[in-house]
Amino acid sequence: MENSEKKKPKLKMAVYWGAACGGCCVSVLDVHEKLFDITELADLVFWPIALDVKYDDVRAMPNGYIDVTLFNGAIRNSENQYMAMLLREKSKILVAYGSCAHLGGIPGLANFTNRDGIFERVYDTSESTVNPEKTRPQLKTQVPEGELHLPYFFDDVLALDQVVCVDYYVPGCPPQTERLVEVFMAIATGATLPSKKTVLGAWDKTQCDECIRTKTDKKTIKEFRRPYEIEDDGETCFLEQGVICMGPATRGGCGYRCIKGNAPCKGCYGPSPDISDPGAKMISSIGTMIDSNDPVEISEIVDQVADPAGTFYRFSLPGSIIRRKIL
Amino acid sequence: MEEPRIGVYVCWCGTNIEKVVDVAEVAKAMEKLPNVVLSKNYKYMCSDPGQDLIIKDIKENNLNRIVVSACSPRIHELTFRKTLEKAGLNPYLLQMANIREHVSWVHDDKKAATDKAKSLVAAAVTRVNHHEELQKRTVDINPATLIIGGGIAGLTAALEIADAGKKVFLLEKTNHLGGVVAGIDQSFPYFDSAQQIIQQFIKRIKQHENVEVLLNTKAENITGYVGNFKMPLPMLGIDAELEFGNIIVATGLKPYDPSAIREYGYGYLPNVITSLEFEKMLMSGKIETKDGKTPEDILIIHCVGSRNKNCHEYCSRTCCMTALKFATQLRSALPKANIYQAYADMRSFGKDCEELYLKASQKDIMFLMYDQQKYLPEIRRAPNREKCEMLVEIEEILSGDMVEVPADLVILMTAMEAHEDVKDVARTVGVSLCGNDFFIERHPKLDPVATTTDGVFIAGTCQAPKDIPDSVAQAKAAAARVLSSIDVGQVEIEVTTAFTNEDLCCGCQTCISVCPYKAIGFNEENRVSVVNEILCKGCGTCSSACPTGAIRTRHFTDKQIMSQIEGMLSMTKRKSKKTELEV
Ligand SMILES: Cc1cc2nc3c(=O)[nH]c(=O)nc-3n(C[C@H](O)[C@H](O)[C@H](O)COP(=O)(O)OP(=O)(O)OC[C@H]3O[C@@H](n4cnc5c(N)ncnc54)[C@H](O)[C@@H]3O)c2cc1C
Ligand code: SF4
Ligand code: SF4
Ligand code: SF4
Repeated sequence: MENSEKKKPKLKMAVYWGAACGGCCVSVLDVHEKLFDITELADLVFWPIALDVKYDDVRAMPNGYIDVTLFNGAIRNSENQYMAMLLREKSKILVAYGSCAHLGGIPGLANFTNRDGIFERVYDTSESTVNPEKTRPQLKTQVPEGELHLPYFFDDVLALDQVVCVDYYVPGCPPQTERLVEVFMAIATGATLPSKKTVLGAWDKTQCDECIRTKTDKKTIKEFRRPYEIEDDGETCFLEQGVICMGPATRGGCGYRCIKGNAPCKGCYGPSPDISDPGAKMISSIGTMIDSNDPVEISEIVDQVADPAGTFYRFSLPGSIIRRKIL
Repeated sequence: MEEPRIGVYVCWCGTNIEKVVDVAEVAKAMEKLPNVVLSKNYKYMCSDPGQDLIIKDIKENNLNRIVVSACSPRIHELTFRKTLEKAGLNPYLLQMANIREHVSWVHDDKKAATDKAKSLVAAAVTRVNHHEELQKRTVDINPATLIIGGGIAGLTAALEIADAGKKVFLLEKTNHLGGVVAGIDQSFPYFDSAQQIIQQFIKRIKQHENVEVLLNTKAENITGYVGNFKMPLPMLGIDAELEFGNIIVATGLKPYDPSAIREYGYGYLPNVITSLEFEKMLMSGKIETKDGKTPEDILIIHCVGSRNKNCHEYCSRTCCMTALKFATQLRSALPKANIYQAYADMRSFGKDCEELYLKASQKDIMFLMYDQQKYLPEIRRAPNREKCEMLVEIEEILSGDMVEVPADLVILMTAMEAHEDVKDVARTVGVSLCGNDFFIERHPKLDPVATTTDGVFIAGTCQAPKDIPDSVAQAKAAAARVLSSIDVGQVEIEVTTAFTNEDLCCGCQTCISVCPYKAIGFNEENRVSVVNEILCKGCGTCSSACPTGAIRTRHFTDKQIMSQIEGMLSMTKRKSKKTELEV
């Protein structure tokens, strides 16, 4: 393997998951044969989905040993938090990778309830549960082999930058693989990186800019409908057909893949720069489209929005100003 | 952007603020905030020494942001902006915190009021960090003027402006000029002929080379802005339109319909008539009942539809004097008749008006006072029509007696109220109406004929009920304002306008449909929305509707507003629940 040419030392790279579904790690695998280009330039030193490297091995690394860590998943328990802090210490560049690390993502919707609420549902009331003793997971459990530990489950789900400093964000649920390759190549080839704290792998302009559906200024809504309730002509802007599309408030970069598949944008690429509460932004925008001046009719129209919290804050609740429901 | 260097000034407003707010403590608390270089309190910030203090500090300490915590910015924001300009700073690098109207005038607990003042001033300090320099802009004034309403106010203003050599378009929705005055006989308090006055006006207007009268025309679809308004005239062709630089609204008022008041039987008692119907009778020269008989007993009822929560709570202002005018005219026409006046309060203020009351009271007229909130006079048909037409039951409150008055003719002094279409006029000229649907002046005392929309003035009774002299005075004042603006030739226009960041705009066009001033257009080539900053009034509607944050309103950016909220909250010590992360 030794090459006579003097080569740049290979980058050391890590991929880790917090509260995540695993999709982000799979999206890294999705680079397919490009993985060889990546491994040409980088050594993967820690990646639980693919490599058998233990926490102790990470602890043993000197600070700043890893060049780039892609951290996906939100922070939902003490283990996620510990690993975020550990990897921050060990990494030169820490990237919040994917919607959950970026703004809290789908797990962040748990901020509409809390630990007790979740435990009650999961361990008592869910349809498939029989638990008359009301057993709950314990932080410590004695077994013959010794003491077992479980992480502490927080009331709040947090975005990565709410527990450690983050250098860059790559949004998406999961991020579009091409974008990952572009970002990785930029880092690996030493291209000048944008200033810290910026979002990489996504555009500043939102989905509508790329979206080829026809749109006008006639966004007047008399009735909110769900996608299955309309006969989509495949051509008219979803909003103009009364279907909530998060496209206007969501960065481009995904290749408007949902809309191309005739499904409205769900918002996983997060808001455009400087927007501190994407849900609120979209709500005030949609509010202007409701075609009525009668308060009663307006509230009837608004009531037609199925699951407003999940619609407007599907990927962004912890990272928004409202952060959680006050219980 | 250079590092902000902020000066904070907490005003005492004499004792107005100081007696409730600990101004020294507020000023001291601000010293700790980031970028605050100095923080002072002073007795009268708006006084010359107060302003000089700011100027001196700016120069000596290189201040580049100023917070004045005093009265409402509606009163003194302009004053302090000028102060900044004098010191060589851009006037928009100022932020005011209102600790008088919002604090000292509405609270008495000194501790709580001081805390609230701290929060408001801290909000201003955190906000001013994000202020940006804004540049003033001017546009040319089109010297033509649109006057809406051809009553005495509109006619007066039109003549005043036309005589000064400037073009006037006079719009009147009916088929004749003159308004209410065209329907009155003589005018109080001097009994001069109203007809003579108004007909002379109308004649001059019709002959005036600078006046174009448009009858049967309503003000509709006006677009544009001070100096450059437009109104289409579809009846004269598709492209026909008027262009003018200023607008005077003089749409007047209309009489209240008294059929809603059951007690008066207006509409089915034939000899119950309104004041304007009586004016018509006076003009015809024949005072008689429906059957052609000369009335022997005549009752005039005041405050019909005015000063009562079931109709209008305001006083219509001219009816008492008109009633005295009627009584006097009746006395000379019918020396033998019995004349009664049922009044609630006699309001005869104004030059020579109390004198008219005195004279009328010496003319053998019976004044009966009724309680207009409790028992209205009740009119019914007389059982024996030989003696009189009607009987009116009145609880006379000075004597405490229930009296029954015979009447062949009853004159209702009806209230004056807004026209049904006043909201359309208000919308098209962009001026707000008060709860009574009268046009709102920019300042009730200091700027009574201007409105909050630049280039739009109001005159006459559309602003509130008033008599002819006051209507004429207002009309002349409005004309003077218009002429001075034409004379200057240019006006400063709003600088706090919206603009789009084309790198962010996604072309969704949400903003276009919400702009109340139609100021946003779509650039098809770049697929972005573009604001016409001359049309934009800076209302901010688009900025809150834009889902991307691409359109921002200068001086009201999200960053400025959010930092203001953060500053406000930073002063309140929250009992923070220890989060689990800190365990
Ligand atoms: C019975 C009676 C007697 C009075 N007697 C006296 C008196 O003796 N002495 C005295 O000083 N005052 C008297 N007044 C008060 C006097 O009539 C008013 O002060 C005066 O009419 C106010 O004039 P104006 O031009 O403001 O309004 P108006 O006279 O009401 O004229 C307004 C004009 O605007 C027009 N207009 C309305 N809407 C529109 C629109 N949308 N587009 C175009 N045109 C429109 C109307 O048709 C009207 O011609 C009396 C009032 C009444 C009711
Ligand atoms: S709202 Fe959705 S469908 Fe409409 S233009 Fe934007 S991305 Fe396309
Ligand atoms: S609402 Fe915002 S993003 Fe949409 S067209 Fe207007 S400026 Fe552009
Ligand atoms: S701020 Fe926006 S909505 Fe308001 S006038 Fe200006 S462009 Fe129109």
